[in-house]
Amino acid sequence: MKKYLTLIVFTICLLQLTAQNKDSIWVTENYYKIERMLPMRDGIHLFTAFYIPKDTGTKHPILFNRTPYACAPYGEDKMNRSLYQTYWINYLKEGYIIAIQDVRGKYMSEGEFIDVRPFNSNKKGKEIDEASDTYDAIEWMTNNIPGNNKRVGVFGISYPGFYSTMAALSNHPALKAVSPQAPVTDWFQGDDFHHNGAFMIMDGFSFYSGFGKARAKPTIYSSPGFEISSADNYDFYLKTGAIKNFSKIMGDSIAFWNHLMKHPNNDDWWKARNSRNFVTNIKPAMLVVGGLFDAEDCFGAWNLYKALEEKNKNTDIRLVMGPWFHGAWGGGSDGSYLGNIRFESKTSEYYQKNIEIPFFNFYLKLIGTVRDISEATIFFSGENQWRKFQQWPSSKVEYKNLFLGENNQLTFDESTSKNITGSFSEYISDPAHPVPYTEDVHLDRTREYMTDDQRFAGRRTDVLSFSTAILQEDISLGGLLVADLITSISTTDADFVVKLIDVFPDDFKYDEAALPTTPMEKLERTVPMAGYQMLVRGEIMRGRYRNSFEKPEAFVPDKITEVKYTLPDVAHTFKKGHRLMIQIQSSWFPLADRNPQQFIDIYHCDDSDFKKATIKIYHNNINQTKFILPIIKNK
Amino acid sequence: MNKLFFSICCFVTLQSSAQDQRNFVKENYTKTDTLIRMRDGVKLYTVIYIPKDQSQAYPFLIERTPYSAGPYSSRNFPQRVGPNEGLMKEKYIFVYQDVRGRYMSEGTNLEVTPYIANKKNKTDIDEGSDTYDTVDWLLKNVPHNNGRAGLSGISYPGFYATACLPGAHPAIKAVSPQAPVTDEFIGDDANHNGAFFLLDNFSFMNYFGAERSGPVEDYSGLVFSEDIKDAYQFHLKMGNIKNTNSEKYYNHKSVLWDEYLQHDTYDAFWKARNIRTHLKNISIPVLVVGGWFDAEDLFGALHTYEAIEKQSPANNNRLVMGPWTHGAWASPSWTKFATHNFGSNTSKYFQDSLETTFFNFYLKDKGTFTASEATVFETGSNQWKNYENWPPKNSTTVSYFFNEKQQLSLKKPVSKNKYEEYISDPNQPVPYTNGVFSGRNNEYMAEDQRFAAIRPDVIYFKTDELDEDLTLAGRISVDLLVSTTGTDADFIVKLIDVLPDTASTPKDGSNSLSMAGLQRLVRAEVMRGKFRNSYETPSAFVPNKIAEVKFDLNDVAHTFKKGHKIMVQVQSSWFPLVDRNPQKFMRIPEASNSDFKKATIRIYHDAVNASKIVLPVLK
Repeated sequence: MKKYLTLIVFTICLLQLTAQNKDSIWVTENYYKIERMLPMRDGIHLFTAFYIPKDTGTKHPILFNRTPYACAPYGEDKMNRSLYQTYWINYLKEGYIIAIQDVRGKYMSEGEFIDVRPFNSNKKGKEIDEASDTYDAIEWMTNNIPGNNKRVGVFGISYPGFYSTMAALSNHPALKAVSPQAPVTDWFQGDDFHHNGAFMIMDGFSFYSGFGKARAKPTIYSSPGFEISSADNYDFYLKTGAIKNFSKIMGDSIAFWNHLMKHPNNDDWWKARNSRNFVTNIKPAMLVVGGLFDAEDCFGAWNLYKALEEKNKNTDIRLVMGPWFHGAWGGGSDGSYLGNIRFESKTSEYYQKNIEIPFFNFYLKLIGTVRDISEATIFFSGENQWRKFQQWPSSKVEYKNLFLGENNQLTFDESTSKNITGSFSEYISDPAHPVPYTEDVHLDRTREYMTDDQRFAGRRTDVLSFSTAILQEDISLGGLLVADLITSISTTDADFVVKLIDVFPDDFKYDEAALPTTPMEKLERTVPMAGYQMLVRGEIMRGRYRNSFEKPEAFVPDKITEVKYTLPDVAHTFKKGHRLMIQIQSSWFPLADRNPQQFIDIYHCDDSDFKKATIKIYHNNINQTKFILPIIKNK
Repeated sequence: MNKLFFSICCFVTLQSSAQDQRNFVKENYTKTDTLIRMRDGVKLYTVIYIPKDQSQAYPFLIERTPYSAGPYSSRNFPQRVGPNEGLMKEKYIFVYQDVRGRYMSEGTNLEVTPYIANKKNKTDIDEGSDTYDTVDWLLKNVPHNNGRAGLSGISYPGFYATACLPGAHPAIKAVSPQAPVTDEFIGDDANHNGAFFLLDNFSFMNYFGAERSGPVEDYSGLVFSEDIKDAYQFHLKMGNIKNTNSEKYYNHKSVLWDEYLQHDTYDAFWKARNIRTHLKNISIPVLVVGGWFDAEDLFGALHTYEAIEKQSPANNNRLVMGPWTHGAWASPSWTKFATHNFGSNTSKYFQDSLETTFFNFYLKDKGTFTASEATVFETGSNQWKNYENWPPKNSTTVSYFFNEKQQLSLKKPVSKNKYEEYISDPNQPVPYTNGVFSGRNNEYMAEDQRFAAIRPDVIYFKTDELDEDLTLAGRISVDLLVSTTGTDADFIVKLIDVLPDTASTPKDGSNSLSMAGLQRLVRAEVMRGKFRNSYETPSAFVPNKIAEVKFDLNDVAHTFKKGHKIMVQVQSSWFPLVDRNPQKFMRIPEASNSDFKKATIRIYHDAVNASKIVLPVLK
């Protein structure tokens, strides 16, 4: 049986390789590449590669991607493999011109690179920002690239998602459609480097130790990051200790790291870098795309869409959220599984064929229709179905309280704690033994942790678990989840991590016939799915920001305090027979940095400042911790 | 004692045997079965494989088993007989017997049948007398025997091999107890230092504890049916040991299970089942075999050897300890385990160079048997070592003290009132292994302990990087100065080899775990605190009063390589391997869920109360 499977897998790979070979030959036969330095209004030139159809019989639209990660391979004789190894081949077959540009200051482009460069809504003369660079680039290419139809679309994932949002603000009349995907949107609130003010140390350190290095002059080479001499991130980050020790490793040449250290709060500096503050007067059609299980920019996708909707009543704006890790839909995965969790269909292909390609075809080639693409196309894990909505959050959402009770119970019944006085659950949060964010020893932050089994955490004395009785019917959640914790802590600051978990039945197993058709990645260990505790959504809140992200406040030791915060939207159905679980803990290491549990400057404090804290979470008649769930009334 | 393991073992054996070996037994042996009458009239079912080549006389090689002497039909041949393939080809008269009260034998089976020293009449029977009567019958009734018999067996059959020694039949000339069940309260299978091994026994007794109404070829099933997917969760939900006898589970349908729960101290029941006290004046050559990674009867092998050595000093008594799990020495190949790679086929070496030559020499006068007193595989350095004594004479005890800042060092602490503390919560016990497993993770004895070190309820102490290799050979002891807010507590001490951060991972793909910084378990043991002064008479802790908890960890032969660190972890649960201690002084089998309480535990490391681990360092 196993041999048979291997044979099939081998055959599939072989077929794929053959197809790719065919496609690569087709690309070289039908496309040519040119590289140009595009002049910007301030005299700086940006390096841009164009892949242009040899066919001159018709005019072609331009798909434009701006990136800080290099538009490699460099050289007009070298074709980008994404053109034939990913679904991009479909755009080539449709005759699109593909343009890829190094953003200002990165790789072969001139100028100075500024991270998430603030948008200038009031540019004068030769003032530039990413929007003006996009404008100038579009202006150049629509006038200089032969055979273009003067219709341009911009798309990009992650940091290029941010540049896509900025492109939409360029107001170039030829720009007709923009798709920001997993767009970096708010680096204080929820993307990449901070979640609710907590510093995502592992991603921040490993990314900026390389990406943050300034180059001496334009180059095709990237800067290597700090090489961690360990195979165990938990050990490395714990041993290195306080954030100031990381700053020492960084040295003072990483500009953005220095900024991070200077701006612990959501001040004007951060607000200037929050795309949501600027997305008004958007003209092109927008397609915001993101992954439900994106460990990096899950926040950005949901919340850029909401900001666009709020500020642009007449623009054509759509949202797609699939069961994806960061960028899975762009060719990283067929989207049929993530980690141990299966989604039972090739969701990436569904998206490419039914949403993205028809979207650009309609706006850039004026063919087909977008009538079938709903306002919001959201995949619901758990039930493993795409659902279509006329608005997001859906008008069918009913917010319902879920209460913490005694004996680790969760219940919808408000009267549960009516007669219970003084009840709470407690744990000691020890920064010397932080709760790991995932189970196994490893070095690089996993992307699978977003759906990982949480049983390892429930076994710890510093993690509280509460769960409902076995569900008698399906419960679908779609929208924002609010945690309303009533707590007291023995010190002056603490983090709170709330995890929404789907507990599978004790006899659960996947239908073997529904195995993914592509070989699943080898995981460190195979986890028995019976009783699996699937992380559906987890989010951290740095307690000091409970009342304001601008003005942090200390806790009064042992005084009962409310910590209320929102978790990124969820789209998940808890099936009948499953249970809904909430875990609460005060560290999530080394995903987020450790809170010294004192109200002090975390970025400059000493190793000796990290203190144990006793954390109480209340569930009684007066102080009732609850969660507000976005329940979608039945279809 | 694990039946499942044996099926796996046999399966491996079968697989590796080439096609032409498949009919070897059938082609070379005649199979007969018979009921042999014991002195009290009870008949024991016995299968005899006699070499077809009758040109010479053969010795008997006997295994007595509670796990079935089958296959039962005289037409059904197993693919192998005897302890190893070499012995099968060498040709012996192989005898398999269902012990009294099991499978096709008559009578009543007793848990580790107590030995009766002064048998007064024919109804005073034990495993010694049953073996005696069996050998006597065989000598008289099986033609072409050479007048000699040997016994061997692994696990429970290892006990039956040991049990033939006191007052043995004079024809018995060689005995090899392998991982023999020896003392189920102090160190084997059921309990370690009085702590109940819940995980193994709950599943084992479901099979082994099933009753029969008379001789059967197959027991009609399990005591109860349960499909456990996550053993940690399952046993935690069970809540307490009492509940194992609820309607859904044992429900008092297993006498053995009831006995286990009833005898929660080292009482007369358990003492009668400690065969060690009877291993006096033994004159039969003995080859005791055990595995360093044996999760079941490591204690039994080491202590059976020790008991014979001490009480029968003149005897020809030898010890073999290899890098094996329970019974792994019987598998055709054993070169790796967990993250260990031993660099050679350790089981084949044992079978060819020790086991076969042992029986050939003493039962057939064939060849020579020159094995050292102790043939021991040294982990860490991965080599066989030969010693004239075990523990070796040049092994001396060295105290490593717990110190501030998690230091483990030769320096005795000098400051006052220093301790590490943790909260032990029986409702969130420390797992014995990392991950979700339906049964026991057999690799736990060599598992990476980083998952434990990062918990707030596990404390550790470690040395600096070693300047030179440090080899341990012999028994380990720990001396903890503790206090608890409760009145009882368990103490688990784990000796760990910390690999350097630069350790490279073999590229053979055998495991995905990175070796850098690995905290590899070398030896671990639990002590149920109430037995710290006496296993017979447990005593409560006085809350918050410092008490001494001293106990032994089983022997090791291990080299900590230069650049490695020695780590000791201490914790108060090891779940569900060991049942949870309610942390309240009481009969644990009677504890209710509400009896299980959190306790704050301190391990002292100061000038007055200097906790330490005492290591057997080889000079």
